Amino acid sequence: MTLNPQMPKCWRVESKPHKFCPGCGHGLVLKALGEAIDELGIQDRVVFGCDIGCSLLTWDFFDVDTVQTHHGRTTPVITGLKRANPDAIGIAYMGDGGGYAIGSQHLVNAAARNEKITVILANNTNYGMTGGQMAPTTLPGQKTETSPYGRDAEDIGYPTQGPEMVAAIGQKGAYVARGTMANIRQLKGYFKKALQNQMDGTGFSFVEALASCPTNWRTNAKDTWNFVENEMSKYFAVGELKVPDQLKEV
Amino acid sequence: MVCVGVKIIEERIVEAYVGEYASGKSENAVNRALELVRSGRQVNLVDLDLVEPFYTLRPIKQELTNMGLKVIAWETGETMGLGEAGSIIKPEMRWALQRPGDVILDIGYGVEGAKTLNLVEGAAQNPDLKVFAVVNVYRPMTSTINEIISYVSELGLVHGLINNSHLGDETQIKDIEEGARIVTEAAKELRLPVVATAVDIKLKKEFSTGHDCMGNPVRFLTRFMQNTFW
Amino acid sequence: MTEKPIQGERKMFLTGNEVVAWAALAAKVDIMYGYPITPQNEIMHYWTRMAPKYGKKFLQTEDELSAGFTTIGGVLAGKKAFTATAGPGNTLMQEPISMAEMMRIPTVVVIQQRGGPSTATVIYSQQEVTMTTYGGNGEGFRVVYSTATHQELFDYTIKAFNTAWKYRFPTFVLGDGYQAKMRESLHIYDPEEKGIKLVEPTPTLSRPGQIGVNREPNHIRNTYNTEEELYQIVMGYAKEYAEISPEIIEFQEQDVDDAEIVIVSHGVVSRAALAATQELRKAGYKVGYFRPITLRPFPTERMRAVAANTKKLLVVESALGQLNKLVLNEIYGLTTPIETLLKPGVGVTSEEIVTRIKSLL
Repeated sequence: MTLNPQMPKCWRVESKPHKFCPGCGHGLVLKALGEAIDELGIQDRVVFGCDIGCSLLTWDFFDVDTVQTHHGRTTPVITGLKRANPDAIGIAYMGDGGGYAIGSQHLVNAAARNEKITVILANNTNYGMTGGQMAPTTLPGQKTETSPYGRDAEDIGYPTQGPEMVAAIGQKGAYVARGTMANIRQLKGYFKKALQNQMDGTGFSFVEALASCPTNWRTNAKDTWNFVENEMSKYFAVGELKVPDQLKEV
Repeated sequence: MVCVGVKIIEERIVEAYVGEYASGKSENAVNRALELVRSGRQVNLVDLDLVEPFYTLRPIKQELTNMGLKVIAWETGETMGLGEAGSIIKPEMRWALQRPGDVILDIGYGVEGAKTLNLVEGAAQNPDLKVFAVVNVYRPMTSTINEIISYVSELGLVHGLINNSHLGDETQIKDIEEGARIVTEAAKELRLPVVATAVDIKLKKEFSTGHDCMGNPVRFLTRFMQNTFW
Repeated sequence: MTEKPIQGERKMFLTGNEVVAWAALAAKVDIMYGYPITPQNEIMHYWTRMAPKYGKKFLQTEDELSAGFTTIGGVLAGKKAFTATAGPGNTLMQEPISMAEMMRIPTVVVIQQRGGPSTATVIYSQQEVTMTTYGGNGEGFRVVYSTATHQELFDYTIKAFNTAWKYRFPTFVLGDGYQAKMRESLHIYDPEEKGIKLVEPTPTLSRPGQIGVNREPNHIRNTYNTEEELYQIVMGYAKEYAEISPEIIEFQEQDVDDAEIVIVSHGVVSRAALAATQELRKAGYKVGYFRPITLRPFPTERMRAVAANTKKLLVVESALGQLNKLVLNEIYGLTTPIETLLKPGVGVTSEEIVTRIKSLL
């Protein structure tokens, strides 16, 4: 498995170059997702839903049917669509605020009901679109606009461990993983398994992707990679947390 | 040795009224209980409708008490947010069969409605217990012979059917008779008796023989439940 | 696959919630999404009991936000979908419905009003008029049918799906706890057998075909870049809404032509208003009756004509002036005095209205 230098086929040429900040993790995450869709040959069947927040910028990112919803509400929109049309392949794309804060009840209950959808969540430890506020995933001590002295874990708790939470409530047949933009081939593999799991009708699938936000982190290229690879991964362990039997051989 | 004679123990009446949502369970239970009171018996009427907080005995509890019934039910004022706080069973309801006198149980509807009887201590073992399924053929789940058979079969223990077919204020004699035919046919298949056809007291003179067109005994109903919004 | 839920026309004895479930079946609804709240629960109870028999679906969601947004998902997939709620659930429902309003997604929501504010009572009110007509952060681009009888609940629930799919504005059937739980007889029927054409749903997303070969991908959004862009969109909707309103507007009236006072009410209260009107007419009082059936769009033109032609209006409702606010807004400029009989969260009897009218004439 390799990552091609050119655009994935399912990327929408008309909306490129995309509008994410230089160095933003979304671009890499969406490239891995685009190649996963291409390799599985499912472009015609995919319905892609995005939250509002930075993930909003994906509303015309792919040449696939796409709906932009409200903050946190992409999971139920894709759930409702998938229930009404089981042939569709539903992808709900969101950030850490959408999945772990305002839409956490939807994520938890979609997982508990083993909805046959795929949720992909970009974790960049802050609310990017609204100007870099503290997110459920902000690291202890990390400074944001609403934690100007650094996140005080004693006061407001430790970062949300999303995939661990989803794996804990995930049903038989669910697929749960955490990948990182720092290992894009692995991340693409996780996306393919997550989508395959939905196509097999086996269960819910969830992939968190560690992603960069240099704009709000105020980091240069070197520090950005250092934060993703060395700071974030210290707290957010990369790997597969739940793999159904039929995907274990893949 | 003096013979003290034989103490006659009067047979106790214990009846449970079950059936489909809005089939007329409560109306039949109330009227049956009052009929027993009028014949000089001591009667307990127990509201066990745990699903539907709307048409229940609560609002007419005082009225029925004044008529000589012992009513075991919540009163609207003492229950907060019914339907929200949940359906709550009173301890007196659970132990209703331990009371002296006859016991008429008004059981709620729903998939699990008839199972409410399991909550009444001693119901399953009570040799006197008779369970009657109230059927209105103008209700959607029990409108044909086959629907009634499949509905009653799912209820568990049932000793007889009550034909309560009506269309509210617009009920005509032919509607009741049509119901009697369907319910009697279903009862035959189920090998159960039709205990009675229930008829609004307003139509008493039309049923002066005391029987419906199928020969089932008629019970006349005075409508209380239409005044029981919450 | 399965037989039709209703064949021919049948007279039945039903509760209002059951009526809604039957009407949805009759309207060929594919899927219901819902979350429990009193007094609408039996809509779900009956839908879940009947749906599998007719190849229909149901999803119980985690809350009303999810019930609304999953309904949106179902509609986008090209299925007739609906949900039902009340009170605080209606409050949450306003978020998804604002999205449906912006994206012209033909959702149908049945509201069985309960007491408010907050959780208040589970019983009854007409206090969800303002929220249902103009809720959410929008301009009230929605259709609201306020029903009064079980027959209307059946008729207008069927109609709501047609209206929603024809005009693509979110559509509400506004009932209340009394209507939900009351039992009365009505005729249920297969609308198509009666010549009512059911509007066919079409998918917005997940349409058949191959992208780039015989179809293009569809990208839909509710966020716009500039104020001007949004302004164009909203004004376009406003124009369209105004244009189609005459086709949607419905009202009911009696004895208004020579009336010295006209009772204005909606929903279940209008039953008492109509009874009062008839009783007072028999006694020789010149009383009229006017009832908007669509609260959005409001029958403005007729309301103004009726108001201009009488000496006084009496607005009666089970809320502290929510219908009254709509009326005031619609008849602005006229000088006809408005009297009110407002009982928030409490039912109104015809006797009360009669007494009130007698004190006013």
